[in-house]
Amino acid sequence: MTPTAITTSAELSDFLRQNERVHVLGNGSKTALHRTANGAALADLSTLCGVLEYEPSEYTITIGAGTPVSHVSAALAEKGQYLPFDPLLADRATIGGTVAANLSGSRRFRYGGIRDFILGARVVDGLGRAFRVGGKVVKNAAGFDLSKFLVGSLGRYAIMTELTFKVFPDAPRFRSLRLDYPTLPDLLAAISFIKQSVFELDALDFTPAAGGWSLMARLAGSSATLPPRVERFTQTMQRESAPTDISEQEDTATLWDPLHRLTGDAIVKVVLPPRQIPEFDTKVADLRRRYSIGGNLAWLATDDVTGLDTSLRRLGLRGLCLLGAVESALIGAPLENELAARVKSVLDPQGKLV
Amino acid sequence: MNHPFLQVLETIYPAERLLTRDVELLPYESDGLTAFQSKPGAVVLPVDEEEIIATVRLCHQHEMPFLARGSGTSLSGGSLPIPDGLVIALNRLNRIKRIDPQQRIAVVEPGVINLHITEAAQPYNLYYAPDPSSQSICTIGGNIAFNSGGAHCLKYGMTSNHVLGMKVVLADGTVTQFGSESIEGVGIGPDLIGLFVGSEGLFGIALEITLRLMPQPELYRTVLAAYDDLGAAGDAVSLVVASGLLPGAIEIMDRLAIKAAEASVKAGYPDAEALLIVELEGEAPQVEAEFAQLQGIIEASGAFEMRVARSEEERARIWKGRKGAFSAVGRLSPDFIVQDGVVPRGRLGEALMAIDKLKTKYRLDVANVFHAGDGNLHPLILYDGREAGALERAEALAGEILALCVSLGGSITGEHGIGMEKRDYMPTMFSEEEIDIMQALRRAIDPMEIANRGKMFPGGDAPALKQHGLHPLERQGVISRE
Ligand SMILES: Cc1cc2nc3c(=O)[nH]c(=O)nc-3n(C[C@H](O)[C@H](O)[C@H](O)COP(=O)(O)OP(=O)(O)OC[C@H]3O[C@@H](n4cnc5c(N)ncnc54)[C@H](O)[C@@H]3O)c2cc1C
Repeated sequence: MTPTAITTSAELSDFLRQNERVHVLGNGSKTALHRTANGAALADLSTLCGVLEYEPSEYTITIGAGTPVSHVSAALAEKGQYLPFDPLLADRATIGGTVAANLSGSRRFRYGGIRDFILGARVVDGLGRAFRVGGKVVKNAAGFDLSKFLVGSLGRYAIMTELTFKVFPDAPRFRSLRLDYPTLPDLLAAISFIKQSVFELDALDFTPAAGGWSLMARLAGSSATLPPRVERFTQTMQRESAPTDISEQEDTATLWDPLHRLTGDAIVKVVLPPRQIPEFDTKVADLRRRYSIGGNLAWLATDDVTGLDTSLRRLGLRGLCLLGAVESALIGAPLENELAARVKSVLDPQGKLV
Repeated sequence: MNHPFLQVLETIYPAERLLTRDVELLPYESDGLTAFQSKPGAVVLPVDEEEIIATVRLCHQHEMPFLARGSGTSLSGGSLPIPDGLVIALNRLNRIKRIDPQQRIAVVEPGVINLHITEAAQPYNLYYAPDPSSQSICTIGGNIAFNSGGAHCLKYGMTSNHVLGMKVVLADGTVTQFGSESIEGVGIGPDLIGLFVGSEGLFGIALEITLRLMPQPELYRTVLAAYDDLGAAGDAVSLVVASGLLPGAIEIMDRLAIKAAEASVKAGYPDAEALLIVELEGEAPQVEAEFAQLQGIIEASGAFEMRVARSEEERARIWKGRKGAFSAVGRLSPDFIVQDGVVPRGRLGEALMAIDKLKTKYRLDVANVFHAGDGNLHPLILYDGREAGALERAEALAGEILALCVSLGGSITGEHGIGMEKRDYMPTMFSEEEIDIMQALRRAIDPMEIANRGKMFPGGDAPALKQHGLHPLERQGVISRE
């Protein structure tokens, strides 16, 4: 089915009223998320694009949902600001798709995820009603907060046409370190130490590596303060956690792209309580993987989605496939929830949004 | 209250936890919006979640309106009882079930006092970030209902940003769970936590909450700057923000608030038209460097005096006056109304000037103490309820301030919620259709509208007026407000 280009919210309302089943394509960057669209009318929101309002002094930005993430990040960078939730697939995704799938990169570790930075949105629901949720100021407690609800909602409750975020000033300089540990428990002990320490890291990821495990830590700050902070961090970690090696890494985008080197039929996000890592890791020991945001999230590449689905179910964990030709993007423990079902009955009673 | 319902309640609660006599009900008739009161039919004191669930199911079966109540410190009438309805008082569910320092989380019951979590986390160098001024008394359940904030929410957000998981009983008795022990929270699927937090007790009752704990910052650096013009203090905020610094708190107090704080807690503040407090926190080397930059900015902003906290005691002194300011102003006047509208930060000056004009128009005093970094105003309107027409004037003035906030592109509430007090102002912020959708959502969860009936949405009966003044606990000096 050819996507229909939607240029205004009113057109989207009409489109929803005219069609039985509707699915939104952002940039189509997350291929696995579009499988359910089978036979649905496709809406292309890429013309709902651009920065609509940006007040650097307010720390707020309002953007069309079809805007490429790279475009938003560039506009913010000009004023020394950034989206602290660190949108994933920054080179390909649209901001609407990023919110709908709730995909954050490694820098989410420092200040929080999309839910922590979304302030409001304009949406069109399954009945074609166009309305606003949330607000445009950094603080607002009026009414039910449906804007947060939309984070991770996969376009099944309402379609976002415009989004408002809180933004922060970005640090001018970064330094990245790799700390090697012989075993996973050694590395996890180091993370435990860091989490109760005074160090405020910009990102904290880890992966299995040749002969052990590598912890990647990123510090952000000014050129004057970074060297002593890096020095102190290195010395403290040396003393407290006995890594086999600590080395400075070139601070590149690739280094902090959690999906880098993950190749397989499917790329999967798993929400993971840190305490489950040891058990979880034994189940995915054959897969390419990277643990992100201090071990609260795992990224996996697999050729056997069914097998992973079974393991996740047993562990009571959920996964979301982003890339790959999978039957259902949602794997692992079932997602059905009574409260979500009630929201669906109001916003999309006919089940048009798939 | 009707007898059949009481009889079934008796099957759940022993007599000492089922209150029905007038004297027993009295403490539950009001909340922090002391101008109003209303008499519930009965109050129950559950001790565990099974009792809460059974009670909610009974209420649903009997179409009995109920109110979940924490400590009753709501400033918007959110915890005013529904006349003749049931109050489910949650204070006995006050167990911190688990602190897990490795995962940096706490699992708590809804009646746990906000500050107790930080106290329990302290041994691990962790703390619970949202810090409403009422933190020594208000409960996590109440914080969840209003998405409560505090002076330190600029960087790490309000209550919603610190909830990772919840178990709740919806108003129709359905029990459901969402979120996780990961800092991703829900992470996959719609963010139900974000929806439930801030729902003002209209969806149901939070039974168990998983909270994110934060590491204690290594260093705080706090500066207090005095200005002879409120506008100049507001402009300084813009300068700080434009510099690229991200302070943990930015607060302003005006002359009346300073005077009151001085009279009450003797903070030793300079005599000024406005005081600005800016606090930086984080890793020591970074904070020290940023603090030097901050001092430069403040010096250039026209402050006539600047004080720097060099020790924890000095920091506490600066905050003491600020945290106590509201209750202090309250003591200057027989009665007062607090608003908490939000304006874009860049329009603070405009908002303050407009409020100044309104003072003259309504012949009433207004003190301003506010979260300047968030643009969250807290104008405190002083009046004497014994004077004929004074309350009406104060309410009209409050209404104009709310309208002003909306017209400047802000919100009618930043953290106190709509409750009973601001119901009629919802249409200034939301279209009829938007309100209809919210109401439909409420009915999809609570078809009989029994959970906190009469709150948030326009219309409905207002509970009766009663005597005015400070919250009883404020009068005793137990808590103070922002
Ligand atoms: C002196 C003073 C200072 C204050 N300072 C601040 C401040 O700095 N920042 C701020 O944001 N607020 C402040 N407040 C307002 C108030 O303290 C907060 O709104 C607080 O969160 C209310 O908590 P509570 O336990 O008293 O709740 P209550 O007043 O008892 O209840 C408030 C609402 O929560 C609902 N509720 C309670 N428990 C649950 C539950 N388990 N599940 C679902 N709903 C529930 C109730 O139904 C009600 O609607 C202040 C109040 C006072 C009196």
